[in-house]
Amino acid sequence: MKFKLENTEENLDGEILQSLSNNEFVLKIKGKELNLKILSMTHEKIEFMLDSTYHIAKYLENNTSRITLVADGVKLTFNKHPDLDKIVYKNSGSESAMDSQINLKSQIPGRVVSINVAVGDKIKQGDVVCVLESMKMQVSIKSHKDGAVKSIKIKQGASVAKNDVLAEIE
Amino acid sequence: MHSEKIKKFSHKRREAEQAGGEERIKAQHDKGKLTARERIALLLDEGSFTEIDAFVTHHYYEFDMQNKKFATDGVVTGYGTISGRQVFLFAYDFTVLGGTLSEMGAKKITKVMDHAIRTGCPIIGIIDSGGARIQEGILSLDGFASIFYHNQLASGVVPQITASIGPSAGGAVYSPAMTDFVIMVDKIATMFVTGPEVVKTVLGEEVSFDELGGAISHGKNSGVAHFVAKNEYHCMDLVKSLLSYIPQNNTEEPPHVETGDDPNRLDNNLINIIPENPLQPYDMKEIIHSVVDNHTFFEIHELFAPNVIVGFARLNGKTVGIVANQPMVLAGALDIDSSNKAARFIRFCDCYNIPIITFVDTPGYMPGTNQEHNGIIRHGSKLLYAYCEATVPKITMIIGKAYGGAYIAMASKNLGTDMNYAWPTAQIAVLGSEAAVRIMNRKELETAKDPVALKKQLVDNFTEKFANPYVAASYGTIDSVIDPAETRPALIRALEALANKREKRVPRKHGNINL
Amino acid sequence: MIKKILIANRGEIAIRVIKTCNALGIKSVAVYSDEDVNSKHVKMATESYHIGAASPSQSYLNMEKIVETAINSGADAIHPGYGFLSENADFADLCEKKKLNFIGPSGKSMRLCGDKMLCKAAMSKAQVPTVPGSPGIVEEVEKALDIANKIGYPVLLKSVFGGGGRGIRLVHNEKELRQAFELASGESKAAFGKSALFVEKFLPKIRHIEFQLARDKHGNAVHIFERECSIQRRHQKLIEMSPSPVVDQKTRDEIGQLAVNAAIAVDYENAGTAEFLRLDDGTFYFIEINARLQVEHPVTELVSGLDLVKLQIDIANGEPIPFKQKDLKVNGCAIECRINAEDTFLDFAPSTGKITDVDIPSGPGVRVDTYLYPGSSVSPYYDSLMAKLITWGQNFEESRQRMVLALSDFYIEGVETAIPLYKTILETQEFIKGDLSTDFLDRFKILDRLRDDLKNEASKKADVALAATLIHSEFLKNKITPRKEHSMRWKTQLDRH
Repeated sequence: MKFKLENTEENLDGEILQSLSNNEFVLKIKGKELNLKILSMTHEKIEFMLDSTYHIAKYLENNTSRITLVADGVKLTFNKHPDLDKIVYKNSGSESAMDSQINLKSQIPGRVVSINVAVGDKIKQGDVVCVLESMKMQVSIKSHKDGAVKSIKIKQGASVAKNDVLAEIE
Repeated sequence: MHSEKIKKFSHKRREAEQAGGEERIKAQHDKGKLTARERIALLLDEGSFTEIDAFVTHHYYEFDMQNKKFATDGVVTGYGTISGRQVFLFAYDFTVLGGTLSEMGAKKITKVMDHAIRTGCPIIGIIDSGGARIQEGILSLDGFASIFYHNQLASGVVPQITASIGPSAGGAVYSPAMTDFVIMVDKIATMFVTGPEVVKTVLGEEVSFDELGGAISHGKNSGVAHFVAKNEYHCMDLVKSLLSYIPQNNTEEPPHVETGDDPNRLDNNLINIIPENPLQPYDMKEIIHSVVDNHTFFEIHELFAPNVIVGFARLNGKTVGIVANQPMVLAGALDIDSSNKAARFIRFCDCYNIPIITFVDTPGYMPGTNQEHNGIIRHGSKLLYAYCEATVPKITMIIGKAYGGAYIAMASKNLGTDMNYAWPTAQIAVLGSEAAVRIMNRKELETAKDPVALKKQLVDNFTEKFANPYVAASYGTIDSVIDPAETRPALIRALEALANKREKRVPRKHGNINL
Repeated sequence: MIKKILIANRGEIAIRVIKTCNALGIKSVAVYSDEDVNSKHVKMATESYHIGAASPSQSYLNMEKIVETAINSGADAIHPGYGFLSENADFADLCEKKKLNFIGPSGKSMRLCGDKMLCKAAMSKAQVPTVPGSPGIVEEVEKALDIANKIGYPVLLKSVFGGGGRGIRLVHNEKELRQAFELASGESKAAFGKSALFVEKFLPKIRHIEFQLARDKHGNAVHIFERECSIQRRHQKLIEMSPSPVVDQKTRDEIGQLAVNAAIAVDYENAGTAEFLRLDDGTFYFIEINARLQVEHPVTELVSGLDLVKLQIDIANGEPIPFKQKDLKVNGCAIECRINAEDTFLDFAPSTGKITDVDIPSGPGVRVDTYLYPGSSVSPYYDSLMAKLITWGQNFEESRQRMVLALSDFYIEGVETAIPLYKTILETQEFIKGDLSTDFLDRFKILDRLRDDLKNEASKKADVALAATLIHSEFLKNKITPRKEHSMRWKTQLDRH
């Protein structure tokens, strides 16, 4: 099976060669054979020995196209179908870990102190779209891309939650 | 031994997998579309797909068809698992004769549908088809008919989900419409009964494929699409998520999931979501998000009739179907589209043992000739019918306004609901105070010396006396007025109590819901 | 003798004070808002009282409620921590009025220090050099523009009542100054109830060096060495250390004396800090006195062997400082990293949520002051400081290496942190050489280096992650755990109704 590591754009090959009894497996990763023994496993976490070294991985997110996990404290994201990516994203545009292109989401909960753009404005990546107040600080929320402001979803004084859509930028 | 026979077998199998051939596969990819088998691989658990009828070909001979025989004949069928759950599926293969439906193709599809019905497993259909195979003429049309017949046989027996990832035209669109949920992929899927060319010829109207029957159009305008997927990956994610909320068949409860969210979690901030001024709108979704497990609400029909909200969520690990007015859109008033949207959703939940939770804040029905002439009376009655018909646990939470006919329609007690709760902010009345006073005290207001002050006094009196939940509570129509902070525990406790609810009705073939 | 202290604060500093109370046999009283019901400081104190809703103005800034709670609980002293009411002169006065021993300077002294303009004037009188800028408060944006044009851009727009780096904005031209003036005004009003701004020349490539001060009620004043706090972002400190790589004993004595003079000039009492800017040519400018115990005090504790909270309590008890300036010698080197709940790549936007898992580092020369435990939360209502990681070594290099290892051992799950950023910073040649300045992050494009470091780390863990991924899909297929029994219901279902 082919995978692409999003963090580095590296392509990797991996498969399960054999399933031995007792929760042990023989894997082939990047051409090398490895022995994996599961110590404990749930939907969210796995502790295992890979060729006699202990590792722990926590699964954060898993869907059809990608899986994100924290392996020994390091967060990584794999594309599970790198060969299909360019076909699938042909019509819709690609998705980075920042999610949907059009929605500018809030990274923090807070209160809207000011809205610095208007519908129709042409803005650049990094331009301040609005200012939120949170944790006694005023945080400027900047646009994640170049484009035109399609709609503004918030009002001055409103409270927003983390991941709320603040504006649509086409 | 038998090396010749083995060689022939390998060759035929490879042929079946190649289906339409390298060139057609490349054409499909160039359009930004995956092949049928790639889609199945994305949808099902790895390695779990077993294909059947791979060696089926058509047996037609007119129009030189005998020289255009392909294994699988334009549709890939079989079974596999999604997160360990058995499903049967069919996927139209656009690389074979444009994915057009033939007599044999229809037989393949109805065969897996039969399997699904007999074994109690969900049916997933992936549509990417040029429609009827014109060469086969009436055989193709009859093929569609038999698929529709099986859609009906399966309806309410096993869940049917349609993923529309390509064209689907003419009669072909009716099969998806008969299934429980339709997902359309934006910029790839189209559905219409009559295509743009015919529209131009007959009506002179110029319209693009996407405008006429694209995903967004059906998501927003017609409500044919329950979900609009960003791309094929997202489409598969939606199928998997949807499946996680519903059971395999109508005899089972939906799967229970450990969500880890404390069932006794209070939220003291809920009451602050309702503005002091009852004329000011708020977002009902904020309340829903706070109450459900892990703030996760799987919304259905998000773009269609946004004045009512429907979708799945979990409460203490149990799937529930949520129906709620949305005060931010049309002030939460009911109308034709929202009645249809909610009614269909309620009936799905009833088919599949999913309790229904209704959040109410509605000022009434939308007035006007548009609504009246288009049959708000007929469509509105569907919502009433659906609530009455459902025998799953039904719990109502009145948050704000609940006036007149809309109060009745939004799961009021005598429609057969089980538990009805209200917040202290609930206003349950025949009419809003202003309207009521205008009608009841018309004469006094006309002859009054200071009509403005008198009106205010009368309105205040009316509000004090009637626009609250206590009158209804005194009659037992509301079982209890609760502290908004306790909404979540209250709902979960009610669900626990009603878990084994069983209701008997006089047997009949089926009711006559006003369609 | 103080017998019971109410700590008017939360988070890690509340825990810090409780620890010294425990060591001295003093009872501790914690206060908490709705948001902090499950916080660690509430569990650790001798007694804990609920004081109000989550919003600071209704709880930790509610002077009357806090004083009332102190009196009702029988506390005879109040420790304000840092932030919140620690530099609120009205609060200090209120405590005095209600006969509660306020562990810190008097209200009068606070007013003098808190008003940066008055302080500057007092320093001039004491011949302590200060930074060029506006002579007083600038009320109108036009006046600010005027001064800025005179002293030359870039300039810093500061709030007179700001603290801890808040209310400071760097502007490069008129347009930015206008925008910043409006925002800074609003922020100041929101946090402190009033807005008064002043303008200061921005000095590039400067080092932020501060001196820990202590003065008792008998007039004895000492400095307890310097701290270098140059690595900052948005004018808030990220990494602090003591001693500073560019301060030799002669400079320490000289500037330390200036700091002591400054303390005497404002009649300061208890522990405090004198902040200076040091230009590349070695010139020191006095900035301000922070009339409180600072976040980075552990760094000084580790190189001096002192418990500064104990020193504060002793001074508040009226005891004289038990040592003379010549008794103090810097021992070894300490470094502190502030572990904030912030997303480095989103311009350090605060990250909030539940902490599902936390692994706290330990070992020789490793100290962690934190309120985190698995299941705790980082609240959007309060600041983002979750933990302070401090290491000590016999010399700078030992301390630095211990910090690098400790950072690798520190695991926090549930929010974004700057731990990877600190690892990158501490491994740069520039940091090792001590080439620090307040524009360190920009000057050496640290964020770009961080990106590269993260890529390398990801690459190294790719195999392990891939193995975990392959097994995950096996798990989902139920191959590893026993397959669920097919429900028999469908098969045995009799006809309904």
